[in-house]
Amino acid sequence: MRGFKALVTSLVAGAALLTAAGAQAAFPDRPITMIVPWGAGGGTDATARIIASLMEKELKQPVNVVNRTGGSGVVGHSAIAQAPADGYTIGMITVEIAMMHWQGLTELNPTSYTPIALVNADPAGVQVAADAPYKNVKELLAAVKAGGPGKFKASGTGQGGIWHLAIAGLLKDQGIDPANVAWVPSNGAAPGLQDMIAGGVQIAPVSLPEARALIEAGKVKSLAVMDAKPSALFPKVPTLKSETGSDWTMAAWRGIAAPKGLPKDVADKLTAVVKKVYDSKEYQDFMAQRGFGIVWAGPADYAKFMAKSDSDMGTVMKAVGIAK
Amino acid sequence: MRIHDALSGLLLALLAVAILVTVSQYPPIPGQNVGPSAFPGVVAILLLGCSLLLIWRGIRGERMPLVVMGAWTRSTRHAINFLLVIASLLFYIFCSEFFGFIITGTLILAILFYVLGVRPVLILPVAIVSTLVIHLIFYKFLRVPLPWGLLQGLHW
Amino acid sequence: MDLLTLTAAATKLVFDPYVLLVMVGSAAFGLFVGAIPGLTATMATALLVPITFFMPPVPAVAAIVTATAMAIFSGDIPGALLRIPGTPASAAYTDEAYQMTLKGQSELALGAGLVFSAIGGLFGTAVLIAAAPALAEIALKFSSFEYFWLVILGLSAAVFIGSNSVLKAVISLLIGLLVASVGLDNPGGYPRFTFGNTELMGGISMIPMMVGMFAISEILRFVVNIDPPARVLVQRLGNVFAGMWALTKKYPVQILRGSVLGTAVGIMPGAGADMASWMSYALSKKFSKESEKFGTGHVEGIVESGAANNSALGGAWIPAMVFGIPGDSITAIAIGVLYLKGLNPGPTLFLNHPENVYAIFLVFIVANIIMIPLGWMTIRLATNILRVPGNILMPIILLFCAVGAFAINNTVFGVTITLIFGLLAYVMEENGFPVAPAILGVVLGTMLEENFVTSMIKADGNPLVFFERPIAAGLGALTCVILFWPLASWLVRRLRTRPAY
Repeated sequence: MRGFKALVTSLVAGAALLTAAGAQAAFPDRPITMIVPWGAGGGTDATARIIASLMEKELKQPVNVVNRTGGSGVVGHSAIAQAPADGYTIGMITVEIAMMHWQGLTELNPTSYTPIALVNADPAGVQVAADAPYKNVKELLAAVKAGGPGKFKASGTGQGGIWHLAIAGLLKDQGIDPANVAWVPSNGAAPGLQDMIAGGVQIAPVSLPEARALIEAGKVKSLAVMDAKPSALFPKVPTLKSETGSDWTMAAWRGIAAPKGLPKDVADKLTAVVKKVYDSKEYQDFMAQRGFGIVWAGPADYAKFMAKSDSDMGTVMKAVGIAK
Repeated sequence: MRIHDALSGLLLALLAVAILVTVSQYPPIPGQNVGPSAFPGVVAILLLGCSLLLIWRGIRGERMPLVVMGAWTRSTRHAINFLLVIASLLFYIFCSEFFGFIITGTLILAILFYVLGVRPVLILPVAIVSTLVIHLIFYKFLRVPLPWGLLQGLHW
Repeated sequence: MDLLTLTAAATKLVFDPYVLLVMVGSAAFGLFVGAIPGLTATMATALLVPITFFMPPVPAVAAIVTATAMAIFSGDIPGALLRIPGTPASAAYTDEAYQMTLKGQSELALGAGLVFSAIGGLFGTAVLIAAAPALAEIALKFSSFEYFWLVILGLSAAVFIGSNSVLKAVISLLIGLLVASVGLDNPGGYPRFTFGNTELMGGISMIPMMVGMFAISEILRFVVNIDPPARVLVQRLGNVFAGMWALTKKYPVQILRGSVLGTAVGIMPGAGADMASWMSYALSKKFSKESEKFGTGHVEGIVESGAANNSALGGAWIPAMVFGIPGDSITAIAIGVLYLKGLNPGPTLFLNHPENVYAIFLVFIVANIIMIPLGWMTIRLATNILRVPGNILMPIILLFCAVGAFAINNTVFGVTITLIFGLLAYVMEENGFPVAPAILGVVLGTMLEENFVTSMIKADGNPLVFFERPIAAGLGALTCVILFWPLASWLVRRLRTRPAY
């Protein structure tokens, strides 16, 4: 066993020397890890992977995407916040960070991170089956109002998820009891949409890119989009405002963030690189192909955006009775 | 380690009861007529039923002591082997971040090789080479962020 | 364009040196990833995606199809040789294959897995080509009510696979179902059994648990073995195809049944290869003339479920290509790639890009064919690890398991799960509790609860709706018959054998 001791001691000594020498090098001098709180294959994962592969080209260092899934995003978001604030661990945070703390699932909220940049937002749509009798969102809302509690069912994400809040907030905004539409939890948008076609639920308030294949296949129709302007993907789908006059908007967003307390020079470097990636033809083409909405906000605007998202979510969640 | 069916049945029954007590405190979810307590509750009730059946069968079955330890527990060498496997995983869990994968992996392999009676000349070379190969596969090819720990300065 | 010109155009797209090179490369990659315990086919696919960004459509899809087909097969390799299933789909027959290895028949077990995987894969492809749009329409009719029964059917597989004691198999299954209910990912979004731990909110990941239950328990048994068994021998199969031809002639019904079941289960979004392989293994045992040989190293079940899990792969692409609905996490990634390449999934894909659709079909066929020689080479190489002395091999496997468990979520929490379940499985097996049903319980537990709860919400709490829709009623009746038939026949036998006074 004496051999080991000598080996370990010499290795430790050598490593200490090398670490000391490495500290002076410019950021980044080793691979960066990008944590994604959602599973491989989803929209967040795909967006993170294209950004990471383009950042890699700019930084000349590998940017590894790591999926830390589970707990409806709690696990991954905690992992980003708890990583050392040295810029070598960053993450893609999503709208759920503005929601989870209202439910008492975590202490984390948007202020627990150093914002780098907002890169994507996808507004909610109001989708029904193609053979549903409602020609527009007004008719649907009238039917929901007349139907009474629980007559209508909607699905597309888990209990208290973003699309659940989108429809509940819309109903509240229209003076309809949110309990008139019962929420059927589902594991993502695809099973919710499928359930709607199979006749299990009537409404799927998911984003347009999520419903895209089924809209194009003529199985689903979108009545309105909960955004200030129509989407680039389906410009013919009217906004909620033009249909009903409602100012209600709701979108799922994604952005790059680092643990709180990141040194300013490192944060600036990362923002500059993400900006370059955002402006690149590859990123713009990728997002257009997938039908994802693109939005840019630098650190200051991003922080403001998240603060607003956070207070909006709190209001709806309290109204629906999900917030603690 | 052989445990008498009546005893394992009793332990499982206690587990089932503990689960039933825990889930009875779960709140209902607004808008859902089946709460988060229903599924584990039903499974726990089934488990309780099965464990009672197991206790009954155990009592009627062969007579044996409540717990029979395997023959290996009387051999110090084998008992140490058993504990060392568990200790290596615990070492990995608690120390890999600090020491880094290469040091942790080499140490675990070398110690296990040693106690399992690998020829001394082979111990260090095989331990180091296998650790480096695993590191290459996972870190380089599969991009798993294995920690460098103390060897941070040596990363490639 | 008529069929002939389309096929010609597709052939030109696929039989291009670049495409073939990409396929061979991704095949090697898939074989490699699948064979490492803890790494899954999903991970293999996710790692390929950034590379496919820079490829034209056909090679990009070819890379993914080839890598996944190989990874599903090669998950059998560590399962058979070391009793560590590489993927959940191989866990159903891991014990069987390992028993064959102990008898020296590792090449036969793996060869059967390989050849019948390829045949099942080709069957799934044939169905994909012949009937994709029509079958996708049926798959869309499946709502949570139908899924609920399907999951119950899958779970009943545990009872039939069951070891000597049905009671202990059921207890093991229930433990698996309880493990599945840990964490936040339940329909209520309520944190269960987390003790305030953030990692536990994410639930207990299946792969580290499976690695622990199979591999760590095996390592523990090895190190405490007071009188070690003689070295395992490898009987070399002279000509693999001669042996397989004999099996094909012996088990034609099993191969067909496995392929049909696999394709059917694969089409249902969310069910996938894992469930297919468990159900068909159980079915094989149930209808076998030699069901007493199951579990002792009998090739019949491997033939059937090997065919099933690869045919499910073709099935999963049906709803993906026709409606953009992913059948599993792998097709979810593949759908992303299709969009990126402008091959938007949907019925229009078949109208707008027929030559690309046919090229994808052809890729499936080629992938399943090249799987045989490449897979056979891998088996030949892999069986050499049985020559490595156990005292060197076992510690290295331990390290592999630790890294594999870490890699699933990049956290040592995975290693903790591996350790705990390794110890649990060791005690369970010493006492005659089989571990495989616990794995099945975790695979299907979440699906079971989700479908039950959503059904109840949709039905306003009326349980009769589980029998109201025609498909659900049929599946429900079938389930009840399967579950209660053994009980009823046992009662009848019991009554008959009662001594007459």
